[in-house]
Amino acid sequence: MYDIATDHAGGLSAALVTLAFGFVFVLGLKFLAGRRGAWAMRMTQAYAAAPSITKVAATLMLLSGGIHLALVPGHEGITGLLFVIDGLGLVGFAIAAFLTTWWRRPAVLWLAATIAAYIVWVVAGWETPDQIGIACKLIELVALGLLMRLANPTRRTWPRRAWRATAFPLMACLTTLGIWVGGLVHPDALHAHAGALLQPVAAVASPKQQAAAARLLADTRASIARYQDPAAAILAGFKPGPVSSAEPLRHFENTGNATAVLDPNRPQALVYAQTTHGLQLIGAMYQMPRAGQWGPDSGGPLTQWHQHEGICFSPFGIEFSLETPFWTCPVGSTSITTPPMLHVWIIDNGKEGPFSADLDKTVQRQLTGRS
Amino acid sequence: MNQTPSTNKSAAEIASVLVVVQASFSLMAGLSAIPFAIVEPGLRVLAVMTILMAAATFWLAGNLRRGRRWAWAWLVGMEAVSLAITAVLSLLPIGTIRGPVPLLVNLLMPVSVLVLLAAAKSDARHAA
Repeated sequence: MYDIATDHAGGLSAALVTLAFGFVFVLGLKFLAGRRGAWAMRMTQAYAAAPSITKVAATLMLLSGGIHLALVPGHEGITGLLFVIDGLGLVGFAIAAFLTTWWRRPAVLWLAATIAAYIVWVVAGWETPDQIGIACKLIELVALGLLMRLANPTRRTWPRRAWRATAFPLMACLTTLGIWVGGLVHPDALHAHAGALLQPVAAVASPKQQAAAARLLADTRASIARYQDPAAAILAGFKPGPVSSAEPLRHFENTGNATAVLDPNRPQALVYAQTTHGLQLIGAMYQMPRAGQWGPDSGGPLTQWHQHEGICFSPFGIEFSLETPFWTCPVGSTSITTPPMLHVWIIDNGKEGPFSADLDKTVQRQLTGRS
Repeated sequence: MNQTPSTNKSAAEIASVLVVVQASFSLMAGLSAIPFAIVEPGLRVLAVMTILMAAATFWLAGNLRRGRRWAWAWLVGMEAVSLAITAVLSLLPIGTIRGPVPLLVNLLMPVSVLVLLAAAKSDARHAA
């Protein structure tokens, strides 16, 4: 569900370069201090005297600052300007941590403002949350947590203690929630619904692609007609998926067809709707052998494959939820990415059409009484 | 271990911050499962278990900061199990580790916590 945006790809190399730069900078300082450079000696002593927690927090701020500065070219207008200010500020605080005594409180405010601004940007839809942005927030969250631990409270009243105990976890939870809301409310063009990544295809289907799509629909319809009775499907090797009160559609999978590629005579699964009159065959599902391996798009935009990402799947039946933007799932479940799949609906699927990732909600309601 | 007590204290402090971050993410994972649990009964159990585990992790982080040896031992166990599960899952073709975020959260953070806990060991032993 969260990929690496093209204009953010440089953030990864920027992180490595920043770390290397920081390391070389410290080595250089030590070298100059060895040659009796007064300011280098002062800085080296300040660095050596700083507690580990300060060193780690400064490194994380430097890292985040470096990534922000590297991403400036991909962001125009006010966002780009804020990236420059933010990046310089974070680098400045990383250095100030060893040279000043006042740096901690402004750095806490700076980090909190950086995280809050990101949440505002993604919730407003001005920025699509991606893995570089989320990783950056993780780095800033940890830096913020470390700086908050550096505080030396003078008054230990219970509201202050409660605030100290809850403020940081609350910030971490709100960050997760904010990124999540932003991602779900403003999915990018290649996400059909939560967790489904669509195959990149051309915008308009050519006459050849239209003919190929019509042929696939006709071949599939003719091939699976023999499985109108679920018992016939079971006899042919299709195994019924678990019954779920949450899912009105049931997939019957045939592992014997796992290696077939878009073969109407050997679909990977059949889809039945749980109607009040029993199971009704409504389509087939083709699936590729491996995740990330898109299927043949003979029908172009008409037959667009999709793969499900970021699903927390538990082995207890088909229980699932969505993973958090920080890639965590409930205990007992794990994040999975399915191989790409293509549904072919042999019934009239309303405005969604015969190859959509999901069954049309109105059609589903008419068939099963549930949406 | 040749580290000074202040270094060990710092290591425990840094580890506790990372553990609080992990606990916050677990809490959100548990809370996020609740809407799905309305229609999927099995997730009710998982959601409650996850929230309880997050609460326990917050508590362990606090006790690690106070230098409790048992908190240290529990966290070592939890992080080692978490790391082992991630290692096994990453060998399966299900896309568990795909990009920098899962790498940081599910691999680098548990490894960092284990390293920091190892550095904090002597301090925890003194406090017990």
